[in-house]
Amino acid sequence: MSETTRSGVVTERRPLGWLPWTTLALSIAGVAVAAYLTYEHFTAGSTLACPNTGVVNCVKVTSSEYSKLLGVPVALLGLGFFAAMTVLSLPPLWRTPSPWPGRLRLAAVIVGVVFVCYLIWAELFRIDAICLWCTVVHALTLVLFGLVVVRAALPPIEE
Amino acid sequence: MSKRVEQKSRARERVAAQRAAELRAERRKRLLLALGAVAVVIIVVGGLVAVRLAGGGKETSTGPSGAADTSLITALKSIPASTFAAVGSDGVQAAPSAITAPALTADGKPKVLYIGAEFCPYCAAERWPVTVALSRFGNFSNLGTTHSAGNDVFPNTATLSFHGASYTSQYLAFTGVETTTNEEVNGQYAPLDTPAAADQSTFDTYNKPPYVQSAGSIPFVDLGGKFVTSGASYSPELLAGKTQTEIADALKDPASPIAKAVDGSANVYTAALCQLTNNQPGAVCTTDAVKAAAGKLGKS
Repeated sequence: MSETTRSGVVTERRPLGWLPWTTLALSIAGVAVAAYLTYEHFTAGSTLACPNTGVVNCVKVTSSEYSKLLGVPVALLGLGFFAAMTVLSLPPLWRTPSPWPGRLRLAAVIVGVVFVCYLIWAELFRIDAICLWCTVVHALTLVLFGLVVVRAALPPIEE
Repeated sequence: MSKRVEQKSRARERVAAQRAAELRAERRKRLLLALGAVAVVIIVVGGLVAVRLAGGGKETSTGPSGAADTSLITALKSIPASTFAAVGSDGVQAAPSAITAPALTADGKPKVLYIGAEFCPYCAAERWPVTVALSRFGNFSNLGTTHSAGNDVFPNTATLSFHGASYTSQYLAFTGVETTTNEEVNGQYAPLDTPAAADQSTFDTYNKPPYVQSAGSIPFVDLGGKFVTSGASYSPELLAGKTQTEIADALKDPASPIAKAVDGSANVYTAALCQLTNNQPGAVCTTDAVKAAAGKLGKS
């Protein structure tokens, strides 16, 4: 990929590689799943009922007391997280010489993975139910964490 | 001269090689640190799952289960009419909805079908108004006491159990089904009552939209095939930390939030039941509170 600078010199741009593109794809997938969970939270949470007795029980999770943090639905926090990660994973923000996008990406996935550990604990030991869609979100966050952390350890793309 | 240049060139190469080695070592260190962080996260998540699969960290249910004593049953049956009148039904947030369906009967009387489970905190809440309302039309015997599961939301909510209970009334028939206990066996709540085929069919047919808000939820109550409701009419949080006796005592006090929720909901159930019994008994069905509560009954 080539690019013409202001002085008219044509420079070759290094390809982003699979890792940033995968990060972007996973972030977009996360936005979709988190948006669905946010919808579920606001529509299913109003029923004072026990859905069923199974361990896999999304409504029990999305309407539990652990579905909110300081009054904010965690599904909405997840949506915000993936939306931010989508923006931070756009190609120009991988190529920028500024260190801030990289730092923000790293900070976001660290906060995300800590929060996911808390939610997994809540599902397993407090709510006693597993929500498959929540598990998808957890898996996406864990993989994003791995990708972003490993990418941060590699040489910068434009080095 | 050329020897000097050669020496300088070798020195530069040595420095460059040293720098390259340092850079490689630094990158290797950073990569190991990153992979270490990923490994820590995998270990933490894997550890949580492993502990849970091994059965650790589970809260067991607490609180007594058994037969309701006579004083408790008497307390539920002897709530003063003045309390029902004072509480009314203005604060009731959810009520049975009218449906068009074949009449649900047993022994020639309109039948009330309740399907719930002992683990379920919302069933724990809703048994109170159902029992209070039915107690105005007949008598329970062998009513149980239990509590919702200790590891669910609103843990250990004190309640009654319809498992093994019987109900006699000249106006109504009642079937109470508790599908599971509040204790888990191999990751599932232990089975308790199995609904009769006809009751299961009623549950499958009418416990779904448009008759109720969400399909398959419990508690489910069908009132003579004329009204159905699913879920609790108030939050189990209201009963947190209370025993069955404390809840029964609170039902007499019109100022108590528990009485407002339970007796208010019982007024609405009573209004629906009165439509099944042709407003019999008159002493119950002609009260202002019950007549007013009829206005709360919904349409599906």
